[in-house]
Amino acid sequence: MPNTRDIRNRIRGVKNTAKITRAMQLVASSKMKRAQDRAVQRREYARLLARIIATLVDNIPEGITHPFLEEREVKKRCVLVFSTDRGLCGPLNSNLFREINRYDRHNTVFISVGRKAKQYISRTQRQLLADFPISEAAEFRELRPVVEFILERFLAQDFDAFDVLYPRFRNTLVQEPTALQMLPLVNFSERLRAYLALESLEATKDEREFIFEPKASKILEEILPRFIKQEIYRLLLDARASEHSARMVAMKAATDNAKKLTDQLTLQYNKARQAGITQEILEITAATLHS
Amino acid sequence: MPLTLEIVTPERKVLSETVEHVVLPSEHAGEIDILPGHIPLMTMMEPGELRYFKDGKPESIAVDKGFIRVYGDTVSVLTEAAIEVDKIDVKSLEEAQARAASAVAEAKLSDVDPAILEELETRARFAVIQKIISDKKR
Repeated sequence: MPNTRDIRNRIRGVKNTAKITRAMQLVASSKMKRAQDRAVQRREYARLLARIIATLVDNIPEGITHPFLEEREVKKRCVLVFSTDRGLCGPLNSNLFREINRYDRHNTVFISVGRKAKQYISRTQRQLLADFPISEAAEFRELRPVVEFILERFLAQDFDAFDVLYPRFRNTLVQEPTALQMLPLVNFSERLRAYLALESLEATKDEREFIFEPKASKILEEILPRFIKQEIYRLLLDARASEHSARMVAMKAATDNAKKLTDQLTLQYNKARQAGITQEILEITAATLHS
Repeated sequence: MPLTLEIVTPERKVLSETVEHVVLPSEHAGEIDILPGHIPLMTMMEPGELRYFKDGKPESIAVDKGFIRVYGDTVSVLTEAAIEVDKIDVKSLEEAQARAASAVAEAKLSDVDPAILEELETRARFAVIQKIISDKKR
């Protein structure tokens, strides 16, 4: 029979853990809300940008193109991984790392954001090109050097394709590890259409010839990097929303488990206590009978 | 047929209104005046003052650099920052301008990341524009 005091100690310990996980759950849920709000806030900008590019691409004079749009033979691929800095977020990172394993280790280089991805990539001895820490706040300006680094390397032909691997936020319970090719922008028009599918396309159709001021190629040169930055930032915010919701769900499960455990332990404690009392009564009556 | 003017920044949708005509600070062609029925146009915008006329009344907005698309009587402006002129707070603006200018000067002296420097310059530039435009209104 376990000692009542031991059981009491354990109950106290489990309750304390439950308090902590409960607090973490609440923190994660408020952070998740904020991350989602920020993603929504930027949506207008992203959509108008996509609409402008869509009309640009549709109306561009023949023969004008841009390195970001041209496909070339993929000898080397670069993958940007958005993982979390901290753990306790359920299977989020391990699901993501399973996707990392799908890439050929010889012709893939990785860029990590988040400590967990950095650790995993170096532990499994894959090629880690760079690691960029991005703070909890995930400001746009923190991402900028990352994107500039990538675009520069892509233009220098250090790699021929570039993917972003991130936990896509489906809803609070479901986050899917998703790899999205960012460079070159293949099927660009379809992609923009898909992007705009949520709202009606242009209200009016203007068939007249377009004027570009200055040249269309110049505008393309300005607007494409902006679009890519915007897209990658959107994925980062999405990854952050996923992180917080995964953590929230994991911590909720932990809190529930702790509650269940406390109930079981309380039952055990009561049994032990009762057994103790019965034992004592037996001893007393036995002692009276023998006197 | 009136024009629809929409101005969007990363933070918010600043404006979406029906207007009579719009005057935009284009980067390569100087100020351009858009009237209803304008042919489709795509261009880049300079930091400056964007004016539009609604019900015969002129309104004005300070804008940073960005992109303009005129398409089917809709003028879409995509910019990094925009603020309505009557919302410009002159006093805090002067402080902001001084702060931004000194931050830029300081950053230039020390060996600061060019990306951060660019952002500071953008802020300083936008403050100056707001100042110029609001002074003009007085």
